Amino acid sequence: MNVGRISAIIAKESKLELRRKNALYGILLFCGVLVFLIYKSFNVLKGLEWNVMLWTTLLFCGINAIAKSFVQDGAESRLYFYTLFDPKEVIVGKLIYNYFFIFLLFLLVYLGFSFFFKTSIRDYGLFFGGAMLGNFGLAVIFTFIASVSSQSEGNQGVLMSVMSLPLTLPVVLLLIKITAVAMRLITDTSVGEDLKMLAGIDLLLTGILLLLFDFLWKD
Amino acid sequence: MLRQWVNCIMWGSWILFFSPSSAMAQGHDSDFLRSTGKIYSVIAGVVVIFIGISIYLWKIDNKLTNLEKHINDEHETS
Amino acid sequence: MKIAWWKIAGIVLFVYVLIAGIGIPLKPGITDVSPSQLKVGVSKSIQITAYNTHFLTGGKTRVWLKREDNKYLEASEVQVNTENLLQASWSIPVQLINKEFSIVVHNAKDGPFVVPAAVVVLPDSNSASFVTPVNFTDLTETDLKRSDDLRFPYRSILNETIRNTFFHVALWMAMFVLYLIALYHAIQYLRTGKKEHDWWSVSFNRSGILYGILGLLTGSLWARYTWGGWWTNDVKLNMAALAMFIYFGYLLLRSSFNDDEKKARVSAAFNIFAFVALIPLVFVIPRLTDSLHPGNGGNPALGGEDLDHTLRLVFYPSIIALILLGTWMAQLRFRIIRLAARKKIHIEA
Repeated sequence: MNVGRISAIIAKESKLELRRKNALYGILLFCGVLVFLIYKSFNVLKGLEWNVMLWTTLLFCGINAIAKSFVQDGAESRLYFYTLFDPKEVIVGKLIYNYFFIFLLFLLVYLGFSFFFKTSIRDYGLFFGGAMLGNFGLAVIFTFIASVSSQSEGNQGVLMSVMSLPLTLPVVLLLIKITAVAMRLITDTSVGEDLKMLAGIDLLLTGILLLLFDFLWKD
Repeated sequence: MLRQWVNCIMWGSWILFFSPSSAMAQGHDSDFLRSTGKIYSVIAGVVVIFIGISIYLWKIDNKLTNLEKHINDEHETS
Repeated sequence: MKIAWWKIAGIVLFVYVLIAGIGIPLKPGITDVSPSQLKVGVSKSIQITAYNTHFLTGGKTRVWLKREDNKYLEASEVQVNTENLLQASWSIPVQLINKEFSIVVHNAKDGPFVVPAAVVVLPDSNSASFVTPVNFTDLTETDLKRSDDLRFPYRSILNETIRNTFFHVALWMAMFVLYLIALYHAIQYLRTGKKEHDWWSVSFNRSGILYGILGLLTGSLWARYTWGGWWTNDVKLNMAALAMFIYFGYLLLRSSFNDDEKKARVSAAFNIFAFVALIPLVFVIPRLTDSLHPGNGGNPALGGEDLDHTLRLVFYPSIIALILLGTWMAQLRFRIIRLAARKKIHIEA
């Protein structure tokens, strides 16, 4: 593993993203439409509902965004990468890129939600800290499932959501709880434990992702 | 043909068994499945397990039949 | 022909579980005490309705009021109506007002059984000044001799459905073991690349999925008759549902490949990842909610002391029997896949 090579992959991913502007705009538009739809359906959204809707919206945007991160490289480019890079470098590069992307989406969804609805977050440090950890967990799960479903010959979009949504539950539950504490919906002095647990989940998932990706990358 | 019959019997027994409970599902002691210390809800559970395993075995059986057919066909052609 | 002893063991154990699990009676228990308060005065009686008792044929039935400090006050008169119904009366002096008592019933056949905090003593305007010395006694082991009959414990809400332990709960344990075996084969497949491991893995997963579905069905049936709803917001139930989603996803994933080698590799990787990703849930969920299942929220199902040795006598054999039967079904599947592969016939595995 080599930092330079990893950053090369990250650079390539972002270049690809910027080159295929319509795909990027498509995702951003999807987020915007989703947020607006929720705004018009609820009109007033606060408390726990705000919290749950925020993370659900992020889940759907994230799935759509990351699903294409493997699908868009064709068989040729995969072979090309295979000769050039170690699989661990590829996955770390993609993971870091996906993490930034999903965090960007999170910021976007959050801004949309705070633009349309009154937010009641009191503890911004806790909220964004939890969000950073949680988004990383989501990025790991989505990256893995995207690489799994990109190998299949069937309906990759459906596979992606069917397989990744149940797996995100631990992360999402913890995120909702941490956000609820940050909004002072509930008081919990042991919220530090939750953050630690979230970090633990991130580590566990990253470890298993690095272990298993070697097998997925063989072609 | 046989398959339809068996399906018919399975679903029939299922419906027979559960219709009294759902018809009286409002929670009275007179409910059949609640009588004598709810023993019949245990029996219903055992029946569910038995039916489930039977259906599963039925599916494996079908798979094996298909495979046998394939193998026999190959014998005839070669 | 090689005798598959474990298949025979599976059948024998399962038959044993059916016979013992349904045949062994429950311990006696009291279903109703009315009225639930005793007024001060001479020969005040309460009616006790019980389940599975032998008041008429089980030898002399005695009834006591039991105070917190283990002092007993025997009923002056016990009138037995039927096997399950009796009336017991006491003379209640004024100094017992506002005291709370448990009721203990004993006869030789049924052994002792208790209703905790069953009655409370209230004043009565007519006999407000009824004073008499109270003869509290200490009971000895021989007074409360236990019955030697083999019986399952009686729990007030569960009643006979405590037997579902052997079918519903054992099903989950067996399912978990089958999934673990499948996981082991998935790991072995990735390490060795032998096709057999993939076949075993998918076969065991399918047995596990069958048990999962049956567990959900029997569980919701049980829930309907104890907690009153087909589905509850319960931790273990919802985790089980989630596991079902993931294993259905596994089957869906497998069905979307044409290349067998790729299918085996990718689905093994997904199996491992999904299993590991769900482990945190075991630690996460208890931090969020309460459970109806054993060990949570004061539920009288089966935690620690509740799983007494008579239940264990059937519960453990039941788990083993279900594991053996599941392995048998997995083996049938495995042999079909292997045969198809030998004959180079493509089937969905």
